[in-house]
Amino acid sequence: MTALGVAAPERLADLKRRLPTGARLHFSVLALVLVVMAFLPLVVPESALPVAIRTLVFAIMAVGWNLMSGYGGMFSFGHAAFFGVGAYTNAYLLTAFGVSPWIGMIVGAGLSAGVGVLIAYLCLKYKLAGSYFALATFAFAQMFLLVTLNMEFLNKSEGINIPLLPEESWSMLQFDQGSLYYYWIPLVLLGVAVAVSISFVYSRPGQFAQAIRDDPTAAESLGIKVMKYRLIPVALSCAVTAVAGAFYTQYYLFIGPDQAFGLHVSTDAIIPAVIGGIGTIWGPLIGAAVIGPLSAVVAGFLRDPPPFLEFLYGTSGLDIAIYAILLILIVVFLPKGIYGTIRERRRK
Amino acid sequence: MKKHTLVVVAVAVALGMSGCSGTSNVAAGGDSVDSVTIGSIHPLSGSLSGVGGLMNAGAKMAVADINEAGGIESLGGATLVLNEGDSQGKAEIGQSEAQRLISEGAVALIGTYQSDVTQNVASVAERAKVPLVIDVAVDDKILEQGYSYSFRIQPDATSMGASGARSLIAMGEATGTEIDTVAYIHIEGAFGGSVFEAFKTEAEATGITVADEITYSGANFSDATTQVTQALASDPDVIVVTGYFPDNLLIAEAVNALKPDIKAVFGIASGAYDDNSFPAAAGEAASNILSANYHYSATSDRVADIRTRFEAANGESMETASMLSYQAVEVIAAALEESGSVDPEVLRDAISALSLTDPLLEFNGPIEFDENGQNINATVVVMQVQDGAVEQVFPTEIATKEAILPAFSR
Repeated sequence: MTALGVAAPERLADLKRRLPTGARLHFSVLALVLVVMAFLPLVVPESALPVAIRTLVFAIMAVGWNLMSGYGGMFSFGHAAFFGVGAYTNAYLLTAFGVSPWIGMIVGAGLSAGVGVLIAYLCLKYKLAGSYFALATFAFAQMFLLVTLNMEFLNKSEGINIPLLPEESWSMLQFDQGSLYYYWIPLVLLGVAVAVSISFVYSRPGQFAQAIRDDPTAAESLGIKVMKYRLIPVALSCAVTAVAGAFYTQYYLFIGPDQAFGLHVSTDAIIPAVIGGIGTIWGPLIGAAVIGPLSAVVAGFLRDPPPFLEFLYGTSGLDIAIYAILLILIVVFLPKGIYGTIRERRRK
Repeated sequence: MKKHTLVVVAVAVALGMSGCSGTSNVAAGGDSVDSVTIGSIHPLSGSLSGVGGLMNAGAKMAVADINEAGGIESLGGATLVLNEGDSQGKAEIGQSEAQRLISEGAVALIGTYQSDVTQNVASVAERAKVPLVIDVAVDDKILEQGYSYSFRIQPDATSMGASGARSLIAMGEATGTEIDTVAYIHIEGAFGGSVFEAFKTEAEATGITVADEITYSGANFSDATTQVTQALASDPDVIVVTGYFPDNLLIAEAVNALKPDIKAVFGIASGAYDDNSFPAAAGEAASNILSANYHYSATSDRVADIRTRFEAANGESMETASMLSYQAVEVIAAALEESGSVDPEVLRDAISALSLTDPLLEFNGPIEFDENGQNINATVVVMQVQDGAVEQVFPTEIATKEAILPAFSR
């Protein structure tokens, strides 16, 4: 399964030959975005770094979710399951066997892809679609939460701590607190995730998957193997999300059942994609950039409000209200998300 | 080409926002001895914002009291500044708040109420070499990482679970109440799990059977009837409960509705049963419920004065959690006074060597930390709701009323 996560160079080149406009445009935008983003920590205050890192994790999760739910058309409400499998695989392999997180990340991605394919296969085989599919994935995520809570080797409810190392280590993916590597590594991971998205979307399997999403009966009648081309985006999606989970564990040095499999983890993957635009390459990134810093920006604002808003000083929870209002406004006025709507207007 | 540009600009601008989190009061604290910044991290929003806000208020009051009394004398009367962080009840937010507070010049941190949040904040403190004085967070594991910058004022889970079990047994013997079987209901997570494990070990060593362990999720918990019914299925003498305020309240209400033939409901480290708002919130359901917990000293004048002023200022009763936040600021202030330094590493050594007399809680002696950072004199007392008020009932030396056991006559 992991082989699917990496687009071989010759395949990329091949893709570019075949579909020069779309994919090439996206790849060049991606390169530009990554370069611009790489310099971000040099201009923002140090205290904003954790927020930027959290935003990158959201973005990776949302890119992952978007592969399965946006392009594959299978709405997952349980991406916490795949995030958690990635996080726990890394945490367990590292603490029990001293395995490098880089390897843990790959193993986690593979395992998560396997789990995802199995879940999706069962759901699709028994013809669960739409909200029933979403509910089934949600149920699986909850099941993982309960299983973890009862697994002695995963420390049950206590979670797993990643031990602190005396020195920075690339192989063990641990750096000094505030190190910029903690920003650049997820940035590169996000870049890879977006590159995987682009390659997939413009590849033959990707085109098949989108055709199936739009009309499975028509696609099948054309001879497309529906099950196979539905499971490919699922595997990719789960693998990408698991990578976010593994990095999360390394950055926060702790993973517990709630951090891994909690309901909020699933929504963290969905909301950026919904706000930015489901089924678009850039939607999840834009959504994450809006949602990720929201609570920190609002909280910072409330700590030092301008004079005419002095009465708001010290109020808490305002970010959640703004978050909710934003979500409602976007769903009402930009039903295809920020990027999705802009793109549509431009096409008209 | 135009399309190119627009996409690029839109993406770059949108992603650029990710860095623009507003941080304002960078100027506070630092190396200046005019003021010393302490960072506090509590759940100020989310489902635990009630208690989090009161803890924050407790810390604020301690800062104000110390400043009013002349600040830190050994630093030339430097005033304390509290930089408030909001964990939202989430571990990763707590972690980024800790990083923010430290980068804004906090020389020490206090917090955080939840074990998993504290776990993350402790690792930040350790790596940044800034002391963390834990006001509330019970899980043993927090101090078992070999960290040298974390200190805890309250008793840990093992000590609470074990002394809770010992208190229950001792009270049973003293009142001639036979306690053979208990069922345990606790919240999922590090907090509930660790208290339960310690209770079980201690109770089973003395021949009490823990017939059932029932866990529940704190999120979206709206009725405890299922859990209580399940607990009653093993026909226990006592139902032992560990959790936070809202969920423990529901458990008390469910027990009251079912009116089972049990001898007591016994909270250990319960967020509800020794809270002064509990008798009013639960009404009849609160009656005679027991609670083994750390508790503010109900016999100290200093505590009474602080509580009166707190209530006048905040309109709400000052609970033990807020008192611990107050105490945590005092610990840091005492260490600042002792060391005369705002260097966090020097401050750490001073906290470690501290012996703070006249603690605000019902403890066995002054606040002193062992090599893991645990306050060696921290202990629990047993309280009981009697006639709509929380009374200290065990050990008898500090009792304000006599214990009623069996608690129910059914």
